[in-house]
Amino acid sequence: MAYSEKVIDHYNEPRNVGSLDKNNTNVGTGLVGAPECGDVMKLQIQVNPETNEIVDAKFKTFGCGSAIASSSLATEWVKGKSIDQAMSIQNTQIVEELSLPPVKIHCSVLAEDAIKAAISDYKSRRED
Amino acid sequence: MTFEQPACQKCESPLISRLFCLSCNAFQTVPPEIDYFEVLGFPVCFEINSEDLEERYKRLSLVLHPDFFAAAPEEEKRLSEKASAMLNTAYSTLREPTSRAGYLLSLFTKEKNLNERTLPDGFLQEMFFLQESLDELLESSDSSALNKMNEDLRTRHKEIESYYAPLFKNFKDLPEDSDILQQLQTHLNAERYLRRLLDRIPATD
Repeated sequence: MAYSEKVIDHYNEPRNVGSLDKNNTNVGTGLVGAPECGDVMKLQIQVNPETNEIVDAKFKTFGCGSAIASSSLATEWVKGKSIDQAMSIQNTQIVEELSLPPVKIHCSVLAEDAIKAAISDYKSRRED
Repeated sequence: MTFEQPACQKCESPLISRLFCLSCNAFQTVPPEIDYFEVLGFPVCFEINSEDLEERYKRLSLVLHPDFFAAAPEEEKRLSEKASAMLNTAYSTLREPTSRAGYLLSLFTKEKNLNERTLPDGFLQEMFFLQESLDELLESSDSSALNKMNEDLRTRHKEIESYYAPLFKNFKDLPEDSDILQQLQTHLNAERYLRRLLDRIPATD
């Protein structure tokens, strides 16, 4: 199966690979997995608590090219957005941007889940 | 679940496979709901005799292969292609314990609402940690540490595979207990993450 140019670009030069300090109360961590294929994805956001803006995002994904590209794109998209805006990112937008074929749609779902998990982790840590 | 041996639609000899009669060499009209166990003549049950499986697969592929029907009428050619394809899929599904368990679970869960994404507690965190450790080991090319990890993962993989048979046996006794099926689904999910890790370790020797 051929990957789209955008997938290959993100795969060869993934944006924002790495980790943020998960103990920082301004950081939210989302860890999600796809039982269909055994992919694991960690996506972290750092939020400015005054403005609710996502000031940084990092990811690390163990999975196929489409999963890596989906999470790389997700970190690009959430940066600079408010957490509410980031919450509304849909997997279908990722599918469209990366031209993912139907068998790889679950990779985009994983990225959407990772964003939501990171935001909900951030929120629950702020409440504590 | 009782197992009734089906009979050939032409000569009425007992059939091993629902696809083809090995006594009179007649293709059978295959019902659409046929399952892979019937294709190879086994009761719908997790535990199957792997020697029987191999033997039946070889025997059937030797009579069904489309090469043997090159000069046959179109209809028989078509039947042999269809039957061969089904035989191959059935065999490759039943051969390995995990794919057999997954297939059997899918037969049992057709009308049940199972959560398909369940994992043991803390499992995902552990898998992420192991993936990161494996990255480091692969970079350092520390072959003894890598071998150790390979062995540990294989042990765990075998352990997961050992859960299938007793759970399916429990389910046979308690067919109303869908929690047993949920446990099977959890093990099958965990197996995929472990296999993913094992696939990254280069083969030695």
